[in-house]
Amino acid sequence: MVDRDAVTRVLFEQFSPAAIGVFYAIAYAAIAAFGFGVYVQIRKYRRGAAAAIRGSLLARCGAMIGTLLSHRTVARRDRPAGEAHRLIFYGFVLLFLGTSTITLDYDIAGPLLGRHFWHGDFYLWFSLVLDIAGVFLSGGLLYMMYRRGWLKPPKLDYARPDRRPGDPDYDRSGYRREDWAFLWTLLLIAFTGYVLEAARLVWLAARPDVWDYRWWSPVGAVLAEALRAAGLTAAAAGTMRLGLWWFHGLLALLFIALIPFGKVKHIFTAAGSLLLRDPQAAQRLPVVPPSQERAGVQYITDLNWKQLLNLDACTKCGRCHEACPARAVGAPLSPRDVILSLREFANRTLESRTLPAAAELDVHGKSPGQVSMETLWACRTCMACVEVCPVAIEHLPLIVQMRRKLVEDGTMEPQLQKTLQAIHKSGNSFGESKRKRPAWTKAVPFPIKDARKESVEVLWFVGDYASFDPRNQKVTQTFAALLQQAGVDFGILYDSESNAGNDVRRVGEEGLYEMLATANIKSLSGASFKSIVTTDPHSYNTIRNEYPDFGGTYAIEHYTTLVLRLLQERRLTPKRKLGLRVTFHDPCHLGRFNKGYDAPRDILRLLGCELVEMGRCRANSFCCGAGGGRIWMPDPVGADRPAHNRMREAAAISGLQVYVVSCPKDLTMFEDALKATGNEGRFVVKELIELIADALRAEEPAVSAVVAA
Amino acid sequence: MKLLVAVKQVAALDEDFAIRADGRDVEPDFLVRDLNEWDEYSLEEAMRIKEAAASPVEVLVVCVGPQDADEALRKCLAKGADRALRVWDEALAGSDPIAIARVLAAVARKEAPELFFAGVQSSDHAFAATGVATAGLLRWPHAAVVAALNYTPGAKTAVVRRELEGGALHEMQIECPAVLTIQLGINAPRYASLRSIKQAAAKPIEVLGLGELGLAPSQVGEAGSAARVRRMYIPDRGRAQMLKGSLEEQAARLAQIIKDAAGSAR
Repeated sequence: MVDRDAVTRVLFEQFSPAAIGVFYAIAYAAIAAFGFGVYVQIRKYRRGAAAAIRGSLLARCGAMIGTLLSHRTVARRDRPAGEAHRLIFYGFVLLFLGTSTITLDYDIAGPLLGRHFWHGDFYLWFSLVLDIAGVFLSGGLLYMMYRRGWLKPPKLDYARPDRRPGDPDYDRSGYRREDWAFLWTLLLIAFTGYVLEAARLVWLAARPDVWDYRWWSPVGAVLAEALRAAGLTAAAAGTMRLGLWWFHGLLALLFIALIPFGKVKHIFTAAGSLLLRDPQAAQRLPVVPPSQERAGVQYITDLNWKQLLNLDACTKCGRCHEACPARAVGAPLSPRDVILSLREFANRTLESRTLPAAAELDVHGKSPGQVSMETLWACRTCMACVEVCPVAIEHLPLIVQMRRKLVEDGTMEPQLQKTLQAIHKSGNSFGESKRKRPAWTKAVPFPIKDARKESVEVLWFVGDYASFDPRNQKVTQTFAALLQQAGVDFGILYDSESNAGNDVRRVGEEGLYEMLATANIKSLSGASFKSIVTTDPHSYNTIRNEYPDFGGTYAIEHYTTLVLRLLQERRLTPKRKLGLRVTFHDPCHLGRFNKGYDAPRDILRLLGCELVEMGRCRANSFCCGAGGGRIWMPDPVGADRPAHNRMREAAAISGLQVYVVSCPKDLTMFEDALKATGNEGRFVVKELIELIADALRAEEPAVSAVVAA
Repeated sequence: MKLLVAVKQVAALDEDFAIRADGRDVEPDFLVRDLNEWDEYSLEEAMRIKEAAASPVEVLVVCVGPQDADEALRKCLAKGADRALRVWDEALAGSDPIAIARVLAAVARKEAPELFFAGVQSSDHAFAATGVATAGLLRWPHAAVVAALNYTPGAKTAVVRRELEGGALHEMQIECPAVLTIQLGINAPRYASLRSIKQAAAKPIEVLGLGELGLAPSQVGEAGSAARVRRMYIPDRGRAQMLKGSLEEQAARLAQIIKDAAGSAR
């Protein structure tokens, strides 16, 4: 009878002391290579600028561990890849812990403390768990190979929209080779591990303390039975085991040595990136301290160390590439390629022993690794990339910081330049006189309080588009009537309101933004009110999330939550059910930026509308293309536009009557897109405010007449 | 090596405006001021020469105007001009373009630039005379309405292309020093960011009076001008009219107007 407690695994049996010496030498060399690689990476990050990390370390740690263990972000919008990665992750972690356990027992606890624990029941359960972990790992890897080799999802095509075939950094076949090498290496390590296990079982089949317990390593045991059935002798198995032992061991050590030098480093960098995640990265852009001479990012060393780490966290999964509205319409921008370009640039310049001269560190331009201004100006700052990134890369602040440099140089579209000058001169993007801002109130049949002169409960921050755009003025007047009808005590700032600055900031004109924010905070501090409401999600975002950095902290809500409350409290009572088949477009700044997904949908339900969701909704909503100042820049003639792309998506809903928006810019963009895509007459674009007003009226509104056709 | 860019702080009318009590100008409260659009292009042209030059080039911007014209100069400094100079004396009020040119010529003699840039015209008064008059007073060659410029700092000549009527271009070689009046569209002027404008606020603006330029008050202002403004006024409304009433009434009225017009043309 074998003493169960003595059961363990042979390690260096058959090995000469010299062979063991050689093995240890190679192992230490591998660890040294790993250590050197880590040093080079840390030196690279330390060459970046200082980073301000917000939030408590404990909370960020908890969030990171939660994300890693749940694999929530990896499984989003690509469930099979997420599950496969989960198998690889858990398989790899268990196998790594297993190998570490052996080292702990054999190299540390044994020689130093004279204690061994890797035997008996512990060893048996260890064998079983690791065998299963190997199945997880191999299964995940095989699916990933199937995905890359056969499924070939378009997001894994590394061809760049901002380069042409033949450009030195267009092809990126190096990345593809690395992907495959990574998969094959891991798979080979797992596979040789199993065969090695089987060979050991066959070789030691005569020993009951090995053979009788073989089913604790089920995969190895099945293979061993097969090898024996195929006629493998114990002696031959011994030789085979020795060869495989070296092959498996050296491959594993090679893998460890190479971790810091390639794709594998995402094991650490992705975790680090998640640890440093700023949940408000896109909503609240970084302020420029008064002492800072240059506002924007010009050199790779202007990126802070967290941003440099972000670059290394990218695994080229393509989720941002797929979500980007600019990329979807063929603009020369893919968030993935911005990150990869900068990463290649950082690796080329910051991994060298001495820092190259400043001229070689400029990240702006068209050379490999540089980012062109066409790419930077193509961004709509819609946050789709930041929102979907499984490893918390914050593309958007980086793009805006690079734009700040372009603004400082004065290089931008002439039309954008004119708009910024108009905003500077008159406080609005329409270039209208300041005095005309409250002109829309003239058509409202009751006086609207001047919040500068009398105290109000609710201060309504109207915003540029709602104030000046003729189509939106009608919505603005309707909203005023709604507030009046509900008995809300409200007022506006009249001509003391300026453009809120959200989009000015996202253009990268930080100085003008500071001016606007300061002016508005001054106006707001002169008024007496309890809370702010706005119909403009852009104003909502910057007042809510960015004004606090400039000394203005306010309770602010988008009109959808206020109106929902008024409906629920029956201060507004619909006279009839609208009975319309509608779809709802989540504005970027209300939805993704501020998680205001539910209020507009609840309102639509209360109005008796049948809501049919588009495929891309809520967090995955598709930008209208107007954000980030793009509304002030002409789109290339003849090219597809995000709003058109979106209209085609909506048009695919059968029997759609109303495309509902809740953002002034959306109304402008989508009414144009409706005509441009030939959908006029099939359905209409309406502000949610207009539907609410329709439901409050007893008679049939005009909309059903239009849509009936 | 020096390039001189003459700039003007122009006035634009706000939504509503009123004529001044003396009937010769607009009430200043209703004016929105900015750097003359043509001058954005001439400054940009000078900046491009400076930035492409192998040896140091100084870009000097000059403005004739009261203190509030500093804003225009600050914008130029924000865009990268090296020095800003403003000439003012109460006696300058009411100067015609020739009197202004007299001042600019005096500055040019003092500073001795290789090229003197001006806009083709100013967007408010549109005389299109100041630059050319300056050349006349300096007895320098000039090229007006320049749409392209090729000049290497230190070269004795510059090659310019001028816009002629009907889309034709006039390419000419001109000896330096010369006066060039620059047309819109010659380049894409850079944007002056708010931060750079703020930083430019710390830079000095040199202010000169008439005496420092060797000019007498009698040579400028209304005394030194051959032309003076008699009155500024809003002309009586033209024949445009707004049709009122129902759609049918409007259509009938429109048809009547067309019939009347066609009748008189026949």
